Amino acid sequence: MSEFVFKSELWTAQYTGIKANTLASFARAIEEVDDDTIYYHLYRNLFEYHFMPTEYGNSFAYWLAENGYPVLAEKFSSVDLMECVCLDDIRKEMVQILRETAEVSDKLCKPFHFIRAVRKTIDVGLKARNIQEFKEAVQTVGIHSLFYHLVTSRLVRCHSSNDFAIWLEEVGEERKAKQINSLDLMVMSLHEARRIILDILES
Amino acid sequence: MIEEYERYVGRGTLEELKALARQLKGVKVLHVNSTKKGGGVAEILYRLVPLMNDLGIDTSWEIIKGDQEFFSVTKKIHNLLHLPSGDGISQKELLTYMKHTYENVSYIDTDPYDVVFIHDPQPLGLIIKKKNGQRWIWRCHIDVSTPEEETWKFLEMFVNGYDAGIFHIPEFVREGVKIPSFIIPPSIDPLHDKNRELEDHFIFGVLEKFGIDPYRPIILQVARFDRLKDPFGVISAYRIVKRRLDCQLVLAGSYASDDPEGEEVYREVVETAGDDDDIHILNLPPDSHLEINALQRSATVVLQKSIREGFGLVVSEAMWKGKPVIGGNIGGIRRQIINGVTGYLVNSVEGTAFRIKQLLSGEKERSRMGRNARERVRQSFLITRHVKDYLMVIYSLLKS
Repeated sequence: MSEFVFKSELWTAQYTGIKANTLASFARAIEEVDDDTIYYHLYRNLFEYHFMPTEYGNSFAYWLAENGYPVLAEKFSSVDLMECVCLDDIRKEMVQILRETAEVSDKLCKPFHFIRAVRKTIDVGLKARNIQEFKEAVQTVGIHSLFYHLVTSRLVRCHSSNDFAIWLEEVGEERKAKQINSLDLMVMSLHEARRIILDILES
Repeated sequence: MIEEYERYVGRGTLEELKALARQLKGVKVLHVNSTKKGGGVAEILYRLVPLMNDLGIDTSWEIIKGDQEFFSVTKKIHNLLHLPSGDGISQKELLTYMKHTYENVSYIDTDPYDVVFIHDPQPLGLIIKKKNGQRWIWRCHIDVSTPEEETWKFLEMFVNGYDAGIFHIPEFVREGVKIPSFIIPPSIDPLHDKNRELEDHFIFGVLEKFGIDPYRPIILQVARFDRLKDPFGVISAYRIVKRRLDCQLVLAGSYASDDPEGEEVYREVVETAGDDDDIHILNLPPDSHLEINALQRSATVVLQKSIREGFGLVVSEAMWKGKPVIGGNIGGIRRQIINGVTGYLVNSVEGTAFRIKQLLSGEKERSRMGRNARERVRQSFLITRHVKDYLMVIYSLLKS
């Protein structure tokens, strides 16, 4: 049976120096900023607020709403972060939303500060060689690690399946793999996700 | 020591911190600031330095020396950066700053360290000691986005010598800063007297001591007596609420003996409160951590109706105690409160009164928001997250 190595990703925030104070400059920045900046504003928010029902799903959407663009805010908030397999796809989707809008683009807004995630993957020192060990590790690891295996590493590999699903499939647990791969982290907390995964592994 | 935090953040998070720290084995870190006691910076370092050592990062803490004249100049610099008004800095004051900087250059040995954190503007000039291969970081705890120009020009030559800066929020970064700017908010320590769990009888004792009725709703604002904290707006909001709902208002804060403006504001607040027995204005000694903790725990609703704030960490302190906080829609307060989820952001006296009434009337809503508030702090504003961020900055500067 192949071994599953549990990893985690930690990050901190770095200001890019890029600031937008109109919808037009915001749209330009979305096209120009690096992937780690897109990652910060979409996925770090998903991680940071995973446990509570916020009005919008990311800081782009909050800024748009606050500056009088409620339709755009809803559309940005609804970008399906679990469906997209690549940061570039998400960027394209956001650019498309902005291109389709008929909103006034040169109205002066409160500035939006673009921030980049400075990311580091670490080995958390846990390995699983069978389902029992896998279950025990899922129970113990921090939520950064869960987030890494369910969301982040998938984006790095531009793959539609998350790490847990890929390993479970490799070890012949296709049904469990499918169930875990269909978890929607946009509507549940990482604590809930952990509980559901443990239930699936138990079943 | 780090193990004590497991019950707040979980075993997995501690293991992640340890794994990150292992990658920095052998790195020597120095923190330098201007005081060992008093103020938010010293409070954080007091706990953060031992935690970094406990994680295996050899970390020291030094404070700069200076006489009253030097610290008057640095206080003026602080004010000119944060809230520019009145005269700029004089040539004589610049000379005083440089003279003491050179004295501290020979007094503080920074050579043995790989990474040096310099906190705030007081020790900023020590950068002239930087050796090749070292990484120096300016940890700026104040808003320098709109400083007095001449003062900033003087400090900028030092700032640009650093390898990186760290600011609480991006809005606090001065436009045109040439060094990489990390964004790291401050944090609270759940084990500090300000935040640790308290027995009910202690909380009741504190309320009794100040003549506050524990069985009637309490609206609380903890803040020094300063116009920027808008104590007068808080009293006005309370009076609107009081027309309809029974409640008490507690304004707890302090002013230093060398702060004539604080004393003046305190007197005006007392005068504004008049003979309302349900307004309690408490001028407490600065180390009244347990009393403030007890007041926050007994509050029904907590306010932080500031007009301007550094970061306003007192918001997180109340949120950690499961309280919904109604805060001014500004700076660091906006970063802590999620409007409608962990509390409310407000822009006016009337808006404040409206939200107080909503929260006083809805126990379910208060509990829901209070639970969200505590989780928000657990996720983003505890000291363990702060340590992780510092380790990440060190890693990115040394290893990337």
